Amino acid sequence: MSTCDFIRPARKPLTENEVPVVRLVGVTKRFGKVVANNNINLDLYPGRIKALLGENGAGKSTMMSMLAGRYKPDEGHIEIDGKVMDFSSSKEAINAGIGMVYQHFMLVESMTVAQNVLLGQTGGFFINPKEMEKRVGELAGRFGLDVAPGARVCDLSMGEKQRVEILKLLYRDSRILIFDEPTAVLTPEETIRLFEALWKMAEQGKSIVFISHKLEEVLALADDIAILRRGVIEGEVDPDCVESKADLACRMVGKEVILEIDRAPMESGKPVLEVRNLSGMGLNEVDFEVRQGEIVALVGVAGNGQKPLVESICGLRKPPRDTIVIGGKPWRRFFAESTWKRSLSYIPEDRLGLATLRECDMVDNILLTTRKGFAIGPWLDKKRASTETVGLVEKFDIRPGRIQALAWQLSGGNLQKAVLARELYREPVLIVAEQPTQGLDISATEEVWKRLLEVRAMAGILLVTGDLNEALQLADRIAVIYNGRILGMLPTSDKATPDKIGPLMAGIVEEAAV
Amino acid sequence: MLELIVPLLNATVQSGTPILYATLGEMMTEKGGVLNLGVEGIMSFSALAAFVTTFTTGSATLGFLAGGCAGLFLAFIHGFVCISCLGNQVVSGLALTILGLGLTRFLGTPYIGLPCEGFEKAAFPILSSIPVMGDILFKQDALVYVSYVVPVLFWFFFKRTSLGMAMESVGEYPAAAAAAGLKPILLRYSAVLGGGFLIGLGGAYLSLAYTHLWTNGLSGGRGWIAVALVIFAFWRPGRAVVGAYLFGGVMAFQLRLQASGTNIPSSILLALPYALTIIALVFSACRRKHSDMPAALGTNIEPEG
Repeated sequence: MSTCDFIRPARKPLTENEVPVVRLVGVTKRFGKVVANNNINLDLYPGRIKALLGENGAGKSTMMSMLAGRYKPDEGHIEIDGKVMDFSSSKEAINAGIGMVYQHFMLVESMTVAQNVLLGQTGGFFINPKEMEKRVGELAGRFGLDVAPGARVCDLSMGEKQRVEILKLLYRDSRILIFDEPTAVLTPEETIRLFEALWKMAEQGKSIVFISHKLEEVLALADDIAILRRGVIEGEVDPDCVESKADLACRMVGKEVILEIDRAPMESGKPVLEVRNLSGMGLNEVDFEVRQGEIVALVGVAGNGQKPLVESICGLRKPPRDTIVIGGKPWRRFFAESTWKRSLSYIPEDRLGLATLRECDMVDNILLTTRKGFAIGPWLDKKRASTETVGLVEKFDIRPGRIQALAWQLSGGNLQKAVLARELYREPVLIVAEQPTQGLDISATEEVWKRLLEVRAMAGILLVTGDLNEALQLADRIAVIYNGRILGMLPTSDKATPDKIGPLMAGIVEEAAV
Repeated sequence: MLELIVPLLNATVQSGTPILYATLGEMMTEKGGVLNLGVEGIMSFSALAAFVTTFTTGSATLGFLAGGCAGLFLAFIHGFVCISCLGNQVVSGLALTILGLGLTRFLGTPYIGLPCEGFEKAAFPILSSIPVMGDILFKQDALVYVSYVVPVLFWFFFKRTSLGMAMESVGEYPAAAAAAGLKPILLRYSAVLGGGFLIGLGGAYLSLAYTHLWTNGLSGGRGWIAVALVIFAFWRPGRAVVGAYLFGGVMAFQLRLQASGTNIPSSILLALPYALTIIALVFSACRRKHSDMPAALGTNIEPEG
């Protein structure tokens, strides 16, 4: 997706006398203590494509879910055509002309395209498949959404299924169409066709919201760009006035320091992870090493190859031969001889799923990866596991302090501490920590950071993060990944590093090389 | 040879008819996404309801409808447990079978051995004079003639009406139906109730046209065969007709064979339809790719949030 080789229609300048069709006025939404959206003001105009740019967890989806009637704002209101709306269900939003294309399609696989589009919209009691297909075909033609109306949905590609979803909205005369990361499931060609259809819809007066974190797509497509960060509209920019992608990337990710921590220097020892020339799975000649005693941060906009890299290091995917060496052993031998102690610890992003079992208590969750340490033949020494867990709960200050607490009952911060406690109990030589502080409050973040810095004494750490501040605070070196390729390995001791990261994250190598 | 085969095929249609009603009923229920394993109990109970109604009122038509309504009633219990209370569909269905069979035995005891009028065979005008085919298909009772129309209506309902399409969508992906502004709960209820009515008609056929007499164990495993036949039929009414008559044929054949006094043990002959059930299921499992199994079959609609 690095190139967008198609011609976009000329951007229309926004004239003074245009009236917004939708206005979000001072909208705030809280989930418990977390403020997902804070005092959002946003105008949507007919015939224009508004891109909503932001990192994962920036609050894009929350904002659009309020517009689509799934959540109610805690403060502020939504206006449509100047009238204040108070949606209590998504149905009301649909009736008001707001339609949303979700990442997960809401389609009946066994039915035809026409049946899906007309489901619940047929009017009369009897239906005529021929007539339905004709109507849907006409609609598809009008907006350049090429899909056979008589085909069964299960036989369609992802791009075609998406077109069916769009047709459903168009058939219901939606005037405001919201697309939540629509290109995530598409091939490059399909993306281009989607864009062409979006322009066609805008031409016919539809107001379009395009949610994404892909810079070049947003720049290529949108008429206006709103940047959302940490639940706040960071700024609205005109794509023609954007100086560089790097600038946009910096504004999206943010640079200001929210939390600082003292990082004592540490001698680095033997390499514990070597990645040599790893290609495939969306990666391109990835080459780096992590030594004992250092933290290497892997930063980049989400979806640029972090996931396949982490999964192949952690044994969830099989990398090609001789590309990954862990603790001096080739990948295959390492996982064949894997021990529970002095090994690899993975702290996944998905805390309540990959890292823990939601319905199990602390002891069982601690046992998940340390089981071999408590085994007596085929039996488990649960008594000792319980006492050890009590010790860990105390040491890491995991609340509530009961070892009977189930994983889902713990708050995000405490759950992360529990995962950390478990993984550090294994005294690993290599730690792969994926977004370890995402969604945590400041004190929990600080706690996690402290632990990671401490553990350098025995291990090397690969820190995968979307938070630049975290990378700058913790890491010795920062690897910037873009489009499956590591574009730069920057030492944090260099004063110029923070300014170099932005351009690299946007895939601009030349500027950084100067 | 012909004079041997024609009566056999005539009997085939007759014994296939209750299975056909029940299979279509179960198919409708499952197309709405609900698995009803209570078919055996519903058939048995509605056979009794139909018999008692006809016995007391003297009207066979009224009895037939009473059978359907009895099926509707039991299906409603299943629907309430599964759709409204989110109970396990398998457990509820099995409990329904036990309930239906138990109720039938308990309430039916006073009627054992009593005859009732029911439906007699009556040649269909004109069509019955077609050689061979007329003898097989059109020298039957009125309920058989009705059963010829039901699969066509069934097909038409699901393919050509918006209600049928909506019902199918809640069996496939209730969330999509809800997103389209339909009412999944109501639609599932209508599938369960409609299906229960059809299963009840199948039960009514047993006591009103098949035997004309009340005995215990009238349903005799036909409900289970219907459940299996839905899978065999790939959830398509056309194949249900083929399947129902196939089983009807085996049942009729083994009765004839017993009557002719062969030395094959009767217990083996009685097991024939069930052996065929297993073969049919293996066959359809091998060709599962072609089946129209509802994607959300057996899963309840969890309320949001």
